[in-house]
Formats: sequence, C-alpha cells, structure tokens
Amino acid sequence: MKRTATSILILAALVFGGLVGNALAQKPAPTQATGERVATAATAAPVNLTLPLKTDSVRFLAIGDTGTGTEQQKELADVMLRYRQAFPYEFVLMMGDNMYGGEKPADFKLKFENVYKQLLDDKVKFYATLGNHDESNQRFYKDFNMNGEEFYRFAKGNTAFYSLNSNYMDKRQLKWLEEELAKDASDWKIIFMHHPPYSSGGKHGSSSALREVVEPIFLKYGVNAVFAGHEHFYERVKPQKGIYYFISGAGGKLRPGDVKKGSPLTEKAFDTDMSFMLVEVAGDELHFQVISRTGQTVDSGVLTRQQPKAKPLNASHPSAAPAGQEQGNAAKP
Amino acid sequence: MKHKMNRTTGFVMGALVVFGLTFSPVPTIAQQTAGQQPDPLESLPVKDREIVVAFQERVKDYTKMREAIELKMPKLAKESTPEQIQAHKTELEKRVREARAGAKRGELFTPGIAAFIRKTIKSEYKGRELVELREAVLEADTKGVPLRVNYTYPESKELVEMPPTLLLKLPQLPKQVRYRFVGRNMLLVDRENGLIVDYMLNALP
Repeated sequence: MKRTATSILILAALVFGGLVGNALAQKPAPTQATGERVATAATAAPVNLTLPLKTDSVRFLAIGDTGTGTEQQKELADVMLRYRQAFPYEFVLMMGDNMYGGEKPADFKLKFENVYKQLLDDKVKFYATLGNHDESNQRFYKDFNMNGEEFYRFAKGNTAFYSLNSNYMDKRQLKWLEEELAKDASDWKIIFMHHPPYSSGGKHGSSSALREVVEPIFLKYGVNAVFAGHEHFYERVKPQKGIYYFISGAGGKLRPGDVKKGSPLTEKAFDTDMSFMLVEVAGDELHFQVISRTGQTVDSGVLTRQQPKAKPLNASHPSAAPAGQEQGNAAKP
Repeated sequence: MKHKMNRTTGFVMGALVVFGLTFSPVPTIAQQTAGQQPDPLESLPVKDREIVVAFQERVKDYTKMREAIELKMPKLAKESTPEQIQAHKTELEKRVREARAGAKRGELFTPGIAAFIRKTIKSEYKGRELVELREAVLEADTKGVPLRVNYTYPESKELVEMPPTLLLKLPQLPKQVRYRFVGRNMLLVDRENGLIVDYMLNALP
C-alpha cells in the first residue's frame, strides 16, 4: 500500500515536472535588437564546466560594460550564478562602464545591486575599473572595492591584479604603475582596464594612443595578461609581443556583428550574444572559459605563463599571499 | 667558393641582426617609458614656460580654494553608499559654485595658455593621427554638455577618453582637475563635483 502511494507520488511529480518544463520551453523568448530569436536563461544549456578546479587556484569572473539594468543583463547574471555552483569563483573583475546614463542611488540599485544581489549576498567581491561612462566618484562605492582610488592593485595567491583608469592615463598614473610593477614579485601580473589596446571592433577598434604609452611598461615589467571592455563583444586577441589580451565587454550591452571579419588580431571572437569569462589561475597556467547568456561555452582554453620565475631586483611587494587571501590596495598614488 | 659564400651569408645575417636590434619596435629594458620621461616643461622656450607655469598656478589656486571647502565637510569614506556619495557630491558642488559665483570663461584658460594648448595639439597630431583623434572625440555622446563655467558636466554624458600621448604633452594638472574634450572644445572639469571650472573653444584643429 505504502509502496503504491509512493509510486503514484513519483509519477505525479514526473508528469507535473514535464508539464512545467514544457510550459517553460514554450514561453516566447525575447528578441535582440537584430530581431534574431534567442534563448533565455530559463532555456539555457546546462552547466558544462571545462575548468580544472585545481587546489589553491585563483578563481574569478571577468565581465564588462554591465551597467544597464536590462532584462538581458539579469539573464546573464543568472547564468553567472548557476556557474558559481560548479566553479566557486571568489571575485569578479569589472571592465568599466558600470553605470550607463546616470549615477543616482537608484541607478546603483537598478544597474548593479539588484542584478548581482545573490552574488553580493554570497560575499563575492566585485573589483571595478572606470569606463568612459563612469564618474570618478564610483571609487568610493563600497561594493566596487576601489578603496577610494581610480587605479589600484590587489593580489590573490600568486597573482597580482592592476586596475587602471584608461580614460585618463596621465603621467601620475603611469609613474605609479611602473613603481608598483617594478617591485612586484607575483608570478602572474594581470591588468584590467576599460579601453582595449588591441581590438577588432568595427566601432572603436584598438586604443592605439593608450597602447603607445602602456605597452612598453607591460613589456618591461613582464605583464602576462590584459583584460578590457569598451567593445560590446568578446574577443581573444592573438598574443601581442607575448602578452595575452582579452576583451569581455558584453556584460550588459551587445553590439552584434561588430567584430571585423578576418581581422588579423582575432584568435576567437563572439558577438552574437552577451557573455562573461571564467578564469582559473593555477600555477603556471591560466585556464579560461567564456559563457554566453544562453549558457553555451563559446571559447575555452589554457595559456601558459610567459615569464620565468625571476624576482625583480628590488622585490619588496608583499604579494606572495596564500591563495584566496586578499591583500590591501597599494599605496596611494 | 663555398667558403666565400658562407662568409657573405654570415655578413648579411649579422647586418640583419644589427638592423633588427636597432629598429625593433619592441622596447628594450634600457628604453625610457612614458612615466619616466622628463617634464615637457623643461624643454619649452622661456616664454611658453612662463605661460604654462602661470596657468598651473591658477589651477592650483582653484584646488586650494576647493580643498579648503572640502576640509569643512564630512570626509567621504572609502566604502561609502551611493547615498553618501551623492550627498557629498551635491554639497561640494553647491559650496564651490557659491564660492566661485561670478567666475567667467577665460580666468584659467587665458588667451596665452589657450594658444599654447592649440599649438601643442596641432604639432602633436598630424595627418592620420589627427583624423583618428577627431573621430574618437567627435563620436562621443557629449551633446547637451553645457559650455558654461560653474555648470555641472551631466553625469549621464560620456567622458571622452583623453589620449595619453596628449596628456603627456599638456601642462600637468592636480589630480582633482581634468582636461575634457567636448566637441572641439576643451574643458577643465572638477573630478569630484563635476563642475566646469573653465573652458576654451576650438582646442582641436
């Protein structure tokens, strides 16, 4: 009798579950500006992690140009959340344009706090950089962890992160960057900023004036990888003078079809839906996986650290913290 | 013959290596980076240097006045809420605007420094570079930014990326004040309260 009742319950659950599943699948999906029909997070592909989840690795998410507060941004945030179950990233790098259109308290709620509420509640830290739509005062906002500075450094495990203000790269900032890099003994030195030194974007393209001043510094001090936004798509640029360049700028806006076809810079690009990057730094390897709003993996791979483990001459930066342990921002510029 | 060919090949290879090392676009460790370059002020003719120094003094006077105002206000914490940021910005904007009531265009950007800035941009950007600079500046959404001293740069408007190569040539500013392009015009904007401190017309040729 008891067994029969259990069977009925299971059968009912299966039937009900199937009906609900069908209903969800039949719900009309929103369309993009192009009119192309796209799936939503509700119909998204299942989580399919390709990252190795090695012990003591540094795990983070990189996303840019988020600040819209649109349904699409929220859908992407849902996928970010789902992937955190499989890949418990500890923090998020924001590539700038964190607030489009206005920066009143209501905008912070609409375009950031509400969208990433669950991640914020789960104590995932967001580290922001400033874009051309961002006021300098964002550096005081507690959830952007900029510590009152427009450009700053923090370290996790064997990796140092430098957030630069590419919108106003003056001599003061360049001097600070050089001084910090010169004493940085971290295995990995990662830059994140808004404008991409290399890009295949049709609307903007490479920020060549920026590249002219920062690239010699990156080369001189062994910067390994650069993450940027500004372009509303994803691009993995072919290594330039040995440095890895990524663009992850489709976190809240999309510019469909903007990547120039046949660009000699492109290793891999994705410009038909919004996306974010998952990154795992483990020893001498940097693993990455790029996920679209529908949960598809659109790029993945592993890159090897370029520089041999050699400490700079005046290595005094306290950058060898255990994995997961955060270090404070560098001295005031 | 074979021996001669080897020597010739060796010479050609050697010359190529020397040429490559000399003209390689990849900077070597010994090269000076942008952050290490000397202040362009040092290489200016005396007359230009006097104009630039006087301009920097006027900007410094502004930042001193503004700092004195800010010191009397509650300090904005490094971990503030959006409400606290908004309140601080609004109050600082109000107090500085009151302190500068009656300020007019050209008080900082005098004709002398305006001419120097135009000349600097013109000499630094030519041909393709000038076209690219114009494109980058003019594509930005800055319509509606008022060209008025003591008015606010609207927070909803884009901030045009200042080309770093140009920033290295222009007179250095204290960190509280920024150069900003709006169309072909150049503004001096306070980074904390968004006030337009001064502006000059047709900075971009």
